[in-house]
Amino acid sequence: MADIKGYNMPDELYYHEEHSWARVDGTKVTVGMTDFFQREAGDIVFVDLPDEEDEVSQGEVCGKIQSRKWIGNLVAPVSGEIVELNEDLEDDTSLINTDPYGGGWIIVIEASNLEADLGNLIHGDAVADFVEQEIKKAEEEKAKGDG
Amino acid sequence: MADRWRLFKNISKAVSTAEGLAVDDMLPQSVAHHQSPPILHLYTFVPSVIVGKYQDIEAALKLDRCRARGVEYNRRSTGGGTVLMGPEIVALGLGINVDYPGLKGGLGGVFEPLAHVLSKALEEFGIQSYFQPKNDLEVAGKKIAGLSAAHETGKSLLFHTSLLVDFDVPLMTDIMNTPLTKLSDKGYNCFSQRMTTVRQEVGEDVSVKKVVDAIEASFEEEFGIVFQKEEPDEWEREVIQHCTRERYTNQAWIFSHRHPRTRMGLGRLKSRGGLLEIYLALSGGSIENVIITGDFFSTSEDINRLEKALKWTSAREESIGENLSKVWKDDMIYGLDVPTLTKAIMLAKENQVRL
Repeated sequence: MADIKGYNMPDELYYHEEHSWARVDGTKVTVGMTDFFQREAGDIVFVDLPDEEDEVSQGEVCGKIQSRKWIGNLVAPVSGEIVELNEDLEDDTSLINTDPYGGGWIIVIEASNLEADLGNLIHGDAVADFVEQEIKKAEEEKAKGDG
Repeated sequence: MADRWRLFKNISKAVSTAEGLAVDDMLPQSVAHHQSPPILHLYTFVPSVIVGKYQDIEAALKLDRCRARGVEYNRRSTGGGTVLMGPEIVALGLGINVDYPGLKGGLGGVFEPLAHVLSKALEEFGIQSYFQPKNDLEVAGKKIAGLSAAHETGKSLLFHTSLLVDFDVPLMTDIMNTPLTKLSDKGYNCFSQRMTTVRQEVGEDVSVKKVVDAIEASFEEEFGIVFQKEEPDEWEREVIQHCTRERYTNQAWIFSHRHPRTRMGLGRLKSRGGLLEIYLALSGGSIENVIITGDFFSTSEDINRLEKALKWTSAREESIGENLSKVWKDDMIYGLDVPTLTKAIMLAKENQVRL
């Protein structure tokens, strides 16, 4: 488990730049949203899930996530077919806040092009750079807003 | 040279919900896919009521009363709760990239700078307003404008605001299923303690046109841009027609079932500080709205602060306690503490019924 500037970004996961994560188990890929995302977003109040058996492409918006009055995107980190949805989120979306890499998982994708897709995701040493850049970007934009 | 933004301004005639919302949906599409600079859409609706994208419209509204009173109903594409709209309420749609200079980064960082623009506009009328995180503009603890947004496509987003120039409270209580309407004769009083309008603050009949002009000028000033008044071009008109057809005149969109379960509950608790009456509206596992009333001693500003700390947050007991503690100060409600208030809210949650 990696702590990068106070954000929990587990080492074994792959990350999409739109803040979804992917946990690989054979050809099955579990997907959720990162600790960075949930802390930026605040309380998640609804997840508009895709349907099982939907085909998704890497980078495609496959769901929507509402925090307070903001609606953001769930972006598929890999291509494939959606084979499982986390039904616990229907009653308790706060799992994404309280347990983003455990009970807060969102979908499982049966990957169709896994090896190539993983090569496009952020993993290993690159994760620290990614988080630091995201923090820097947010700070710069906040400074612009204050200026 | 100042950047040019486009302005679609239409206040000569109130528009239907389908027309207004479809134009708004086009705005971020045009920014993302049609090389448009940011577009501001300022307009008014016919008397109407609009639910958030993920609300249960049948639970939120008394549809038979809407029909009887000729009030349109529809569903917007941004988040949040139900809003009453009409010719005396300014509707604002903005299509803009999330990383546009002046917007604060991050997911919710658009709200504060845009609330600031509205606040500067209200200063023109001598109204001192401020941003109440995360989504409201307030005057002395009372909401005067609500803000919502959706990340639409690529980096572009749609930002929505309704700013109250005037407001029809009896109409709201007649057509909406809010916890306030459960308060019968207390309803008006409860509402007036929580919301205000431009006319109420100024004490005279300020025109909608003047408010819209002030908003336009404030955007130019705060973002250092100039507006070019335009109409949608052909590409944009096609997008508007598509959104009208697929969404705002489509019953499947308006009565969408993609939403959490809506429930309401009442909790009554006798405490050392007096009788607490809690009205709770739940949206899935989250608190959509909470009204704290009773015969205790407090100020409406403090009660509003407590209620806002809970809106759109998790309805789990520990979360309620944590969120109340973040804003709690001694004697906020005389003789009461956070655990007792939490207990009363949990009673309302236990008594929840489906609408």
